[in-house]
Amino acid sequence: MDFAVLGATGDEGRIASKYLIENGHSVLLCGRNPSSIASLIKNKKARFAYTDLNDIGRTAATLRKSGAKIALNCAEFTMNINAMKACLTAGLNYLDLGGLHEMTIRQYKLDREFKKRNLFALLGCGSTPGISNVMAAYAVSKLDSVEHIELGFAWKSNMKSFVVPYSIESIVYELTTPPTILKDGKFKKAQACSAEGITHFKGIGRQNTYCIVHSEVFTFYKYFKNKGLRNIHYKAGFPEHSHNTINTLIRLGFASKEPIEVNKAKVRPIDFTKKVLKKIKMPDGYKEFEDIWVKVDGERNKKKIRIEMDCLGKTLKGWEFAGSNVNTGMTIAIMAELLDREVIKGKGVAAPEAAVPPLEFFEELKRHGFKLYMDNKAI
Amino acid sequence: MGKIIVKDLFETTGKDDEIIVAGRNINEAKRLARPYKAKRVKAAYADVGNIESLTRAIGRAGIVIHAVHHEFNINVMKACLKTNSHYIDLGGLYHYTKEQLKLHKNFERKGLTAVIGMGAAPGITNVLAKHASKDLDKVDSIDIRLGSKDFSTYKRESPLSNTYSVQTLLEEFSWKPAVFINGKAKFIEPMSGREKYKFPNPVGLQKPQYTIHSEIATLPYTLKAENVTFKIAFDDDFFNKIKTLRDLGLTSNDKTMGKETKDIEITTEILKRLPKALPRISRGYEIIRVIVRGKKDSKQTEIIADAHVKAENELIDKDTGVPPSITAKMIADRKITKRGVFPPEEIIPIEEFIGELGKRNIYIRKYQKNKQR
Repeated sequence: MDFAVLGATGDEGRIASKYLIENGHSVLLCGRNPSSIASLIKNKKARFAYTDLNDIGRTAATLRKSGAKIALNCAEFTMNINAMKACLTAGLNYLDLGGLHEMTIRQYKLDREFKKRNLFALLGCGSTPGISNVMAAYAVSKLDSVEHIELGFAWKSNMKSFVVPYSIESIVYELTTPPTILKDGKFKKAQACSAEGITHFKGIGRQNTYCIVHSEVFTFYKYFKNKGLRNIHYKAGFPEHSHNTINTLIRLGFASKEPIEVNKAKVRPIDFTKKVLKKIKMPDGYKEFEDIWVKVDGERNKKKIRIEMDCLGKTLKGWEFAGSNVNTGMTIAIMAELLDREVIKGKGVAAPEAAVPPLEFFEELKRHGFKLYMDNKAI
Repeated sequence: MGKIIVKDLFETTGKDDEIIVAGRNINEAKRLARPYKAKRVKAAYADVGNIESLTRAIGRAGIVIHAVHHEFNINVMKACLKTNSHYIDLGGLYHYTKEQLKLHKNFERKGLTAVIGMGAAPGITNVLAKHASKDLDKVDSIDIRLGSKDFSTYKRESPLSNTYSVQTLLEEFSWKPAVFINGKAKFIEPMSGREKYKFPNPVGLQKPQYTIHSEIATLPYTLKAENVTFKIAFDDDFFNKIKTLRDLGLTSNDKTMGKETKDIEITTEILKRLPKALPRISRGYEIIRVIVRGKKDSKQTEIIADAHVKAENELIDKDTGVPPSITAKMIADRKITKRGVFPPEEIIPIEEFIGELGKRNIYIRKYQKNKQR
């Protein structure tokens, strides 16, 4: 097998797996619910392996047996450490979709282990973190010094029907956890999901934004502090109908992880919510549009400069089931290919801003329908 | 609701009248009985899902008021038939009401009375419909509209400001409401018919919607009305939240988590656990309006009967808790002597009932449109 996809039966895993298989790679599809990827499993290039990431030993054995050299972890971020340990044991390079703030810090503690085994772990390889990190690195490279970075995402749909935008567990975590921001060179906690006003986004229009927890705050400071970076702020933009729905679910207790007893059985509200929401079908003709954006303020030749980067993605032909999630699931697959082709190189643990060559990566994105802009000019 | 009923019974019944507070949680029942510091208020274990346990708890009780959920109505009625007790409940959400009426002969044979749907709505609504219809020679239509306004100030607000059972609310929002149109019952879309309607002050402009209610199961037949509708108003915030849950599929009868439990049951349990509101000053106003149209002296006439419910430092739900207590006392005092199963409009002595409501700050106003009485 060329690649192993952990969490292949989830939304992002399914997208990454489909991309790799359609590009001629052999893929080991690891997950717990094969029925959700029945059509992928039928492909000659694919093989399914029941995998529970709670069992690191068995996961490692499955990975080792596959012969794959690269694992793409598309499972919930809470499983990142287990997935990394399984890869260390089995001798695979590793990519994931991000660990928000706290998990990312824990993941970096495995840096020495990965280096010792001559392996590379690339953290946060989706749209954001992922594309946002590479765009930030590109902008930072154009400046002598950097003072302030603002970044985030904004998305909209052509219909006001509620469709789960991405992992409901991640969304709930992002909207309910007090985010860490960098202010005047110090990490500080902000209020969970505080409103940040209305912003105009390229390709999206005006939207309310909210301050949420994201891993870029930690990794940008790690890699750009030597350029003088003192402030980092992450903002999420949801269409009003989607934000209201998610907010209602959270406020009414449907995102709680505390088990409740119903008819003598224990049920976690979040598990119930997740399963019910999975049944929501995308309406015919439903399309999503997303802007991944980064604004970098700094100096060049002693002049204050702001560089604005945008990556626009949308529902792609042949990928209608994925909505704008394709921006995340496809991006990790593209980075995995670049790692396989040794365009991306490294050892230990790193984030995309430190390891992914921007121009080669942007070319791959453009080839797959993404549009990239610097200061409103197409790259 | 049981707490309000017990309080009203205690305040209005005689010193020799025993009150049994029965429930599945015996400690809670004891906690509720204790503050009355009276030997005549007792606690007992009873599980409405189990007729044996019910008959033990009811024992020698002459009258049983059933304040648990409507799906247990039939069970409790059967237990009453075994223990020779009269029966009162708070409603059967149309479908259960139909089933309950089938027990008429059983109650009649035993010399027992069952008054079904004897809260605010159903209950006061049915009595008002009868009250208004008495001014007409022939009834054509009955339209019931409920609106309320909360004037409380809060130390802490609840994320969901429901004033009655969460389960009933979710069912009202998800089951198809019955309407009686041109002499036929039909079922329409849940939450439909929401439109602006102006109630008398201080309730004012509200947006009532159709919901499933038991009045539609009885009034067309008892008052010979060709058209009967029921609408209740919820504020926009509440409406939008419940609509969201319904639209997402969280209130369906699917069994997403396994064979045993319906999704609506899990959702009910989740909502039950929400923190309750802590009022600083509790103040509310509700208007229960019944509009009866028909002929009087061959002229088209419209009679409106309103119940004005004012709550000051008490729960607005008193209008649901008080009627069964009043009815129980009427049965005990032999002011109600008909035997069998009856909806309120067929059995409640109207003037006396209105008088009792007045003692509890619930006032009835009846007038012919454009002609205040």
